[in-house]
Amino acid sequence: MRLLGIIEKPNGKQLLVQDKERFFIKEDTEKNFSNYSFLKNRDKNIGNPMKKGEGVFNFRYGPVNSGVGEAGIFNICTYGERIISANIDPSYKKRGIEEMIKGSNVKKALRLSEDICSNFAFSHSTAFLRAIENAGKLHTDTTTKRIRIMALELERIYNHLFVMARLSKGASQNVLTSHLEGLFEEALRTNRRFSGSRFLKNLNGLSIDVSRLINMDETASRIKNIKDKFTELYRHSLKSWNFIDRIYNTATLSKDKALDIGITGPSLRATGADEDLRKYEKLYKNFTPRTEKNGDALSRMQVRAAEIIDSCEIIEEQIEKIKQEKQQDNKIDLSSISGDGIGACESPSGLVVYFIELSERIIKNVYISTPSLFGFKAFCDSLEGHIFTDFSFALDSFGINFADCSR
Amino acid sequence: MNSWALFGITKKLTEKFDYPPMKHVKKIGDRFKKSIHLYPIDVGNDGALNFEMTAMAAPQYNIHRFGIFFTDSPRHADILLILGRPTEAMIKPLKETINQLPEPFGIVALENNQETGIDIENLNLPNLLAHIKEEIDAKSIISLLLGIMEK
Repeated sequence: MRLLGIIEKPNGKQLLVQDKERFFIKEDTEKNFSNYSFLKNRDKNIGNPMKKGEGVFNFRYGPVNSGVGEAGIFNICTYGERIISANIDPSYKKRGIEEMIKGSNVKKALRLSEDICSNFAFSHSTAFLRAIENAGKLHTDTTTKRIRIMALELERIYNHLFVMARLSKGASQNVLTSHLEGLFEEALRTNRRFSGSRFLKNLNGLSIDVSRLINMDETASRIKNIKDKFTELYRHSLKSWNFIDRIYNTATLSKDKALDIGITGPSLRATGADEDLRKYEKLYKNFTPRTEKNGDALSRMQVRAAEIIDSCEIIEEQIEKIKQEKQQDNKIDLSSISGDGIGACESPSGLVVYFIELSERIIKNVYISTPSLFGFKAFCDSLEGHIFTDFSFALDSFGINFADCSR
Repeated sequence: MNSWALFGITKKLTEKFDYPPMKHVKKIGDRFKKSIHLYPIDVGNDGALNFEMTAMAAPQYNIHRFGIFFTDSPRHADILLILGRPTEAMIKPLKETINQLPEPFGIVALENNQETGIDIENLNLPNLLAHIKEEIDAKSIISLLLGIMEK
C-alpha cells in the first residue's frame, strides 16, 4: 500500500491510498506510513533537514538562476564540494490552482487542471476527468479512451525526449543534445498537428469527438519517423563512454527507499519494481512495464528510452483500432452530478491522482497528488554524498519540475 | 550504422525561416541590430514557456544565425524574458533581477494565456518592449525578437 496524500476535511484528515490499481480513502488513524511527515509539509519544505558541522553552510540555489530554470529554491547543505543534505522550497512557484478549482464548475476546473503543469497537462486532465467519471458513475466510450491513450503516449514521448536531451546537455554531448532537441521539437509539432496544441491542451473531455482529429495519418507517419530516428540516436548514445560514465551510479535510489518515499513512474521502474498503471488497462494490449535494476540515473534513462519506443508502437496500434471502430453515441448529462471520486493516470514521471468531492456540478473539495512531489523527495535523498557536478544529472533524471510540485 | 561523428554532420536540420519579424513591438535600438543576449526568468508560469525556451535551442530554428543568444546571468543580458504572470513571492526576485541588468536593456513579458498570478501591467516595469498575453510558441518568440531587433 502506498500513501499518496493527506486530505484536509472539516471533520479531520483522511488518507489517499493506493493498492495496485485500487485507489481509496482511509481514515487518518494509521500514521505508520513512512512518507506521512513529508506529505504533511508538501507546500513548505521537501527533503531532509540541514546538518551542522565544521565549515558546513547552506548553499541557496534559486529562485533566479540559469541552472534551476524554474522559480524554486534548492537548499544545499555542503562544506564546499560534497553535498551532505538537501531540501527544496516550492513556495515561490505556488499559484494556488488547487484552491481555485474548489468552487469551480467541471468545465473551468478541467482547464485549470491543465494549467498546473503544461508538460503533464494531458495526464492531469485525464486523472481529473476519471475522478469526475467515477464520482458521477459516467460511461466513457471506447474511442475517447483510445484517443486519451494516444495523447498520453504522445506526452510521454516528448517528456522522455526532453529528459534525455537535458541529461546529454549536462554531459556536454553536443551532437546528441542537438539531435534530441530536434526530435523534441518534432514531437511538439506532432502534438500540434494531432490536437491543435503543442502541449495537448484543450483536447480532453468527457467525450472526445474523433472527427476533430483530422491529421491521424500524418501523426502515424511522424511518430514512425521519430521512432526510427530515436532508435538510431539511442544506439549511438550508449557507445559514448563519456556520457555513460557521468550517469552510471549517479543519484542511486534503492528499491526499498523508492517504495518508502512512494515514488512511481520510470524512477520506480528503474529500481526493478514493475509497477505501471497501464498494465491494468484493457485497451493496452499485452503491455509489459519496462524495468531496470540499478536505480541510478543511467537506469532511469534506459527505462525512458525503452518507453519512447513502446509509446510509438502503442500510438500506431491505437490509430489502427480507432480507424476500424465506429464511435459510439455517448450523451453525458452533468446536470445532477454529485458525489466523491478518485481518478488516476500514469503520467510520464509517475502517478497523477485526483480526489474530488462534487455537489451539483460544483467542486467542493479537491486533492491533487503529483509525481514531482515524490520525485523531489527522492532527488534530495539520492543526492546526498554526491558532488555539485552531479546535481544536474540527479535533477534531470527524475523528470520533475516545480510547476507540477507546487500547483 | 554510421560512425558517431559522421552521423552528427550529415544531418541538416536547420529550416529556412519564413516568419516575418513581429510588428507592433517597440525597438530596442540600433546598438542591438546584429545580436541580442537573452536571460529568461520564470516567475510562475505553468512550464510551457520553459519548454519553449528548450525548443528555441532546437537545430530547426538555429537562433544563432539571427544573432540571438541565451546568457547565464542577467548581468550579461540585453533582454529579460519574463515567463508567465508573477506569483506574489516572485515579485521581489523579479525586481532585483531587473536591477542587475546593464543599461540599456529591454523587457519582454510573455503571459501565455495564464489565469493565475499578477498582471504585469500592475508592476510598472521599466523598458517594457512587448507584453504578449496570448499563447506563444518558440517560432513566434523568435519572430517577436526579430521585430525588437528591427531585422
